[in-house]
Amino acid sequence: MTLPSVADSVEPVGATVGSGPPEEATRRGAGADVFRAVAHNRKALVGLGLLLFFGVLAVFPGQIAPDDPRAKIYPRGLGPSVHHLFGTTAYGEDVFSQLVFGTRQSVLIALAVGGLATVIAVIVGVSAGYLGGKTDGVLSLITDVILVIPIFPLIIVIAAYERNSGFFTLVIVLGALGWSYGARQLRSQTLSLRRRDFLEAAVVRGERKRYVIVHEILPTMTSLILASFLGAALYAVLFAAGLQFIGLGDPNSQSWGTMLYWAENNEALGAGMAYWAIMPGVCVALLGAAFALLNYAFDEISSPALRLRKLERAGVDAERATAVLAVSPDPKNILEVRGLSVAYASEHGPVVAVDDVSFDLRRGEFLGIVGESACGKSTLVYAIARLLGAPLAGEITDGQVLFKGRDMVTLSDKQLRHIRWRDYSVVMQSAMNALNPVLTVAAQMRDACEAHSTMNKRQIEERSREVLRLVSIDPVHLHSYPHQLSGGMRQRAMIAMALLFTPELIIMDEPTSALDVVGQRSLMVQIKELQEQLGFAVVFVTHDMSLVRHFSDRLLVMYAAQVAELGRTAQLFRKPLHPYTDGLLEAFPSIHGPKEHLLGIPGSPPDLLRPPAGCRFAPRCPHVFARCTAERPRLLEVDGELVRCFLHDQPVVPVVEAKEGVA
Amino acid sequence: MRFVVRRLGFFLVTLWAAVTLNFLIPRLMPGNAAIAMMSRYKGHVNPQAMHALEIAFGVHNHQSLVSSYFTYLGNIARGHFGVSLTFFPDTVAHQVLQALPWTLALVGITTILAFLLGTLIGLVSGWRRGGALDGVLPPLFVITSAFPYFWLALLAIWLFSLKLGWFPESGGYEVTTTVGWNWTFVSDAFTHSILPALTIIVTAIGGWILTMRNNMITVLTEDYVRMARAKGLKPWRIMWTYAGRNAILPNLVGFAMSLGFVVGGAILVEFVFNYPGVGWMFLQSVENQDYALMQALFLMITVTVLLAILAADVATAILDPRTRERG
Repeated sequence: MTLPSVADSVEPVGATVGSGPPEEATRRGAGADVFRAVAHNRKALVGLGLLLFFGVLAVFPGQIAPDDPRAKIYPRGLGPSVHHLFGTTAYGEDVFSQLVFGTRQSVLIALAVGGLATVIAVIVGVSAGYLGGKTDGVLSLITDVILVIPIFPLIIVIAAYERNSGFFTLVIVLGALGWSYGARQLRSQTLSLRRRDFLEAAVVRGERKRYVIVHEILPTMTSLILASFLGAALYAVLFAAGLQFIGLGDPNSQSWGTMLYWAENNEALGAGMAYWAIMPGVCVALLGAAFALLNYAFDEISSPALRLRKLERAGVDAERATAVLAVSPDPKNILEVRGLSVAYASEHGPVVAVDDVSFDLRRGEFLGIVGESACGKSTLVYAIARLLGAPLAGEITDGQVLFKGRDMVTLSDKQLRHIRWRDYSVVMQSAMNALNPVLTVAAQMRDACEAHSTMNKRQIEERSREVLRLVSIDPVHLHSYPHQLSGGMRQRAMIAMALLFTPELIIMDEPTSALDVVGQRSLMVQIKELQEQLGFAVVFVTHDMSLVRHFSDRLLVMYAAQVAELGRTAQLFRKPLHPYTDGLLEAFPSIHGPKEHLLGIPGSPPDLLRPPAGCRFAPRCPHVFARCTAERPRLLEVDGELVRCFLHDQPVVPVVEAKEGVA
Repeated sequence: MRFVVRRLGFFLVTLWAAVTLNFLIPRLMPGNAAIAMMSRYKGHVNPQAMHALEIAFGVHNHQSLVSSYFTYLGNIARGHFGVSLTFFPDTVAHQVLQALPWTLALVGITTILAFLLGTLIGLVSGWRRGGALDGVLPPLFVITSAFPYFWLALLAIWLFSLKLGWFPESGGYEVTTTVGWNWTFVSDAFTHSILPALTIIVTAIGGWILTMRNNMITVLTEDYVRMARAKGLKPWRIMWTYAGRNAILPNLVGFAMSLGFVVGGAILVEFVFNYPGVGWMFLQSVENQDYALMQALFLMITVTVLLAILAADVATAILDPRTRERG
């Protein structure tokens, strides 16, 4: 099994953002990863440092404090001095010693309440999420009720009857009321985990519920459980101090809250004993801040989207020498991509997701880009459209994208804005995700129109209706929200939106894959008709070669970030040159043809962080021979097509200039 | 429609739970606090006050727990909260209504302000991630959100009232002014509210900043934001109508969910500032063992929080067309 985490980072799916990756390999390495992440996170380090500091005070107060905290032996209300770091109280006690001795209770309350609340949260949250049905209904209701009841006033009510409540009452009450937030989060996480493959696999294996929960669910929720603990600990420290401050705790206890209570009763701030009132609060705040910082840091560590990673440009550039061809573009081409490379930053260094890709696109041409998931095809087209950014947070490291003769790579955001949508538009995989769910279709068409034209309201409305009719949608749906449309209609509405300015190029990223086979077919026919009618060029990304068979003029087959084969569609289907193309063709059934045995391609694409030394397809190739694993194949011209394979390396005619380190 | 019904059902259940807790807590305490309290007061207060206590606890010696529970529920439903011991013979209901406007003005406005301000800061710092604002404000307010409200209030009084003399140190208004809608009173009340308001805002804002920032970062990875960029929209338009509009939805739910927490802190702020609102009165009633008043105030606070959650629900329905049709 290759590292799935790296494959993920090449073409991450939106759904993985914000939840831990559940795959076996990442789960096993989670402990070390968390450790490393903590060591690199400044907030986590500060939080841990504070916690450690208070931990030492809590364990060894006798060794650290100079005095017995209760000894009323000094002059009253002294200011800070060498002997009394923070002065003395109105009763003649040493404030510093009281602070040191007060640490233990706050730390213990935080740990005990955090622990108790977390245990309840895990039990309630995971059971509700996992068992579902009526159990979930009841548990969720209880959780929500406890969540919205103002807890602090409720605790005060309880403490009012049970005055001078001691440590245990405090812990039990705070713990019994402080679990709901964590339980809510754990429940929704469990719900989302339930639908994942590895859990379903465990259920199919016939594992018992308890086993599944303990061995499969809990390990993936470590960070959430930790967050629940830290949240409850923070709230416990604050609420316990608050209770003691208003006099509902044990007035004889050694704690920061009790110190604040006596300080306030003696008007310490006004009476020149400011440290008496300030320092216990500082301690509460610092201990609280430690929990809050750790919580914040773990939030960052557990959800990759919140982490900002910088690409190490030097590493990428050193690997390949820059070689952009300085040939002037052919006016017959709407688009010329030359030596384009894109890299992602990962924890283990840069991952090159698009590696030295070149192709031309004629005006009005239909080019299909095909390949398995994570081969870099989406990254390629979003790089061309200058739309990289989280979750496709790659950077163009090399190459040119000449669109109508201008190099898109060097254009500023502002310059790009003017040509976007007017000159080229984009259609995405799922209109459900690509259309703004809170705006009507009309509003989303209007803002595009307003951004690029001086059309007035009536003209915009008229044009919007017109493009909807073009894709055979009744204009009555113009003022619907995306969720009110059917899947097929949404997809058409997005295409309609892309036609608003009749651009010269439309980039389509699997625009039909959200539909069923019949819907796919009719949408493809419609796209082709529109293309013939309006004359725009299309770059069409898909993993399904049979889909574009009758629609695309040429096909670009991508494998592991590189061009594997580029040629005319008909010829490529008739006589595939690359063994990978061959494998792709066998992986899909023909709709019309005779029934055939599907072979597919065994294995999975390589880890792009450490691609194979020779041909990237060699490990999966049925025709592999010695040279394939030793040498990197170049792109060769064979019968007017391009292919990257040694099988065709007899009449050596390299078309793309060989570059240092590649050949 | 079913969504609305289910939501209302939830509010009723919560309200019922609060009332029942009110009824049960004194009885569940070791040694039955209610009975203990009754015997302590016997002979010390006049019979009417005794009767008030009986209503507050639903204690009638001849009634079973179940039937006294229903009597209690009946009284609450009709708004009979009994008589306040502290303000005898004034009714509890009347006292509560006097304190309520102060709290609504102070805690209500500051909570909403903190939410709006925190959401705005979170939105901008999530949008300009790694920028100057993002580097300073979120970590700073993570730390202030761990400050105890009451302690910050103490510090504020010490620094701005006692040391600098900029603001009055306590109360809701100068006792010499006449309460009413005249300029002197309103401006005076405003001056008195500045310090407590700032205290609440500084401590409450951190949570909103953080959640909004994180929502924003998650939303920015959505396809519709990429689509907005592809359409060549102006950056601020993408920030507001595409990213912000969607990122605020979970924050509104979060707002509703953590109100109970914020209100708890605000109670202590009122206490420290002697601010004549519900929170201060609540703690006074605890101090004076005026349980009828205390229980009524607890219910009051719960109802207020529920109403605020309802408002957040309405806001969500306005901003999110999908919730309007759910169910």
